[in-house]
Amino acid sequence: MALNKMPRHPLVIGAIGVVLFLGMTSVSAAPAPKEGSEPGDYTVIDGKVDQGTYDGYIAYTRSCMACHGPDGLGSSFAPSLIKRAQQRSFDEFARVIAGGLQIQPGKVMPSFAGDSYVLSNIENIYSYMQARGAEEVGRGRPKVIEQAKADKTAENNKESK
Amino acid sequence: MLKEMKYVIATIGLLAATTLQANENQLELQNNPELWATQLGNYQGNRYSKLDQINRDTINDLRPLWQFSTGVLRGHEGGPLYVGDGRLYIHTPFPNKVFALDLEDQGRIVWTYEPDQDPRVIPVMCCDTVNRGLAYADGRLFLGLANNTLVALDSESGELLWEASNGDHTKGESNTMSPLVVHDKVVMGISGGEFGVRGHMTAYNVESGERVWRGYSNGPDSDVLLDPQKTLMMGEPIGEADLGVSTWPEGEWKRGGGAPWGWVTYDPELDLIYYGSGNPGSWNPEQRTVDGEPADNKWAITVFARDPNTGEVKWVYQKVPFDEWDYDGVNENQLIDVEIDGKQRKGLAIIDRTGFGFLLDRETGELLVAEKFAPETNWASHYDMDTGRPVVNEEFSTFRQGVNVNTTDICPTAMGAKNMQPSAYSPETGLLYAGINRICMNYEPYETEYVAGQPYVGATLTMMPAPVQDEDNKGRMGSFIAWDPVKGEVVWETNERFAVWSGALATAGGLAFYGTLEGHVKAVNIDTGEEMWSFKTPSGIIGNINTFQHQGKQYLGVLSGVGGWAGIGLAAGLEDPEEGLGAVSAFAALEDYTELGGVLTVFALPDA
Repeated sequence: MALNKMPRHPLVIGAIGVVLFLGMTSVSAAPAPKEGSEPGDYTVIDGKVDQGTYDGYIAYTRSCMACHGPDGLGSSFAPSLIKRAQQRSFDEFARVIAGGLQIQPGKVMPSFAGDSYVLSNIENIYSYMQARGAEEVGRGRPKVIEQAKADKTAENNKESK
Repeated sequence: MLKEMKYVIATIGLLAATTLQANENQLELQNNPELWATQLGNYQGNRYSKLDQINRDTINDLRPLWQFSTGVLRGHEGGPLYVGDGRLYIHTPFPNKVFALDLEDQGRIVWTYEPDQDPRVIPVMCCDTVNRGLAYADGRLFLGLANNTLVALDSESGELLWEASNGDHTKGESNTMSPLVVHDKVVMGISGGEFGVRGHMTAYNVESGERVWRGYSNGPDSDVLLDPQKTLMMGEPIGEADLGVSTWPEGEWKRGGGAPWGWVTYDPELDLIYYGSGNPGSWNPEQRTVDGEPADNKWAITVFARDPNTGEVKWVYQKVPFDEWDYDGVNENQLIDVEIDGKQRKGLAIIDRTGFGFLLDRETGELLVAEKFAPETNWASHYDMDTGRPVVNEEFSTFRQGVNVNTTDICPTAMGAKNMQPSAYSPETGLLYAGINRICMNYEPYETEYVAGQPYVGATLTMMPAPVQDEDNKGRMGSFIAWDPVKGEVVWETNERFAVWSGALATAGGLAFYGTLEGHVKAVNIDTGEEMWSFKTPSGIIGNINTFQHQGKQYLGVLSGVGGWAGIGLAAGLEDPEEGLGAVSAFAALEDYTELGGVLTVFALPDA
């Protein structure tokens, strides 16, 4: 079951420079959570992302992509969430996901208040969108910084080729 | 032949006349080559016109006469009906307006109908609020609204005659399909395969809207309306009872999808209707196993032949038992008469989601041909012609690869090598013509829980253009093909930048027509595929090009207005799989070529 909130491994973006400065281009352990992290924070090292941002990608792809298009880019049906996440505070972003929105007749965003999986991933989705907006994460499924997970993903990809 | 039938019916007596009148009226209209009285042109679904004023010699002069904005954004599927009264009848996506337009007065609005629908239906329509159009018989227009209401309108005034409720949108049920009038009944399916609905086909009385029968796509035989001793499968009685229950894990059939949301065709001689059912509920195959092993999930992704009078199932053919790719089986069943090995057969041809072109015997449901029309197709190597089952390639089996594993490079994508966009068939060439998709996918199943009215999907999928041999075609996402349904061969194909999501039209003028997602209407030489004419409408085309003749002038009419699954999936462009993770560049993005907006464009030759 994937309905429980995955633990986040937040690291404020300002810390990235420090990490990179220390030459940790490929960290072997998950970055430690840091006090005072905010929704929308994310970590990108060598194109890989923290677990929370990765979970944001997965949650987006499962629950939002069907309307908002691949990789947050928008579609003929619903706008780009990358742009919306940049324009809106986390509070506003979360409120729309939980409460839904009727923009005009025929243009409706549903409420996800009944969907515990989406609710528990709003912060992660917001972080993923911020990372996309800053062009630090590209299209497609990002890799996770944590080594064990990264290995597993690679192994899965290899098996399925 | 038709006149004889009418005469016979008339002499049988007035008792029978009322029950057969609607069918008779529709048959009469569709046999008149000047009219386009049903969405697919005729009951057989051929989308072929005998009109030839617009032909290879005159096509260069074809011009738009007038355009009409529907005032509705969103994807415009279906097309205009012309029943000979000097008007065009068109419809729109949600809010499902209907317009009667004066063909002699540049589309002046004769009347408008606009229903009042709960906008909460919009989010349960998985792939845009499309609608595939009106049906007509005996002065009545029929439309299935998004919120599952079937309405009958007086074609003269637009007045509502009756309405019938076919489903509940708060449970995830919705409607996109065009109903079909057969005898004194109008039949309608349902959408919601991504919301765990239980699919069904239902018949209503044309006069009163009263429900006559409902046949489910799953559950006990008594609900499916089949008799295992009589209903055929691969030409033999099914034998075993209640497969619609036993081929599912406990109770899963109740949310087992099988939603028939595509086209219904009808054979007046055999008196049978044909349609395909959709995907079996959750896209996660693991949740549809029995004792951990693949189960057939009957009767999802199945061609049904039913008696339109009672709903009784004459035969079934399950194209994909145990779906692992969302190869929704709703594509139209073209009823065509063919010669195989020197014998005349009543055939049923499908250019299917799966990448395979099928030919079946429409009397018995026997599988005669199953060949790939999209050569990139790799989920199955071939069909076993004795069992009628696909031979699945383990490498691309999302069940064998497992839950939470991203199975990569499966062809075709869940959109299908062809989606619902209806094909055309020319009895002159014996070939089918269809717009197709050249797109592949990565597919990752995950466990999902059913909550009524919430999405019940259980897989993520990402798409990429199908691999091509020719570098010049790199990134190509669509084609228009001519398909030989008997030989199982592509005769010619053209390449398109985007998936071809419009319906096809074949004419006696030696032309085939289709629309592109950029918005072009194109005419090609029906023998070679060579492009002979094109015109760019204001928005991408996912509707169908229809043709008709009024006062000696042949017209073409088409709705443009991008949207649908193609609009959602292709707006931003697809990733280039060869550029690896995090690639910034993308293949052509539809949003660079077109924007939303519904418009009807009507064409004719200026001097005709």
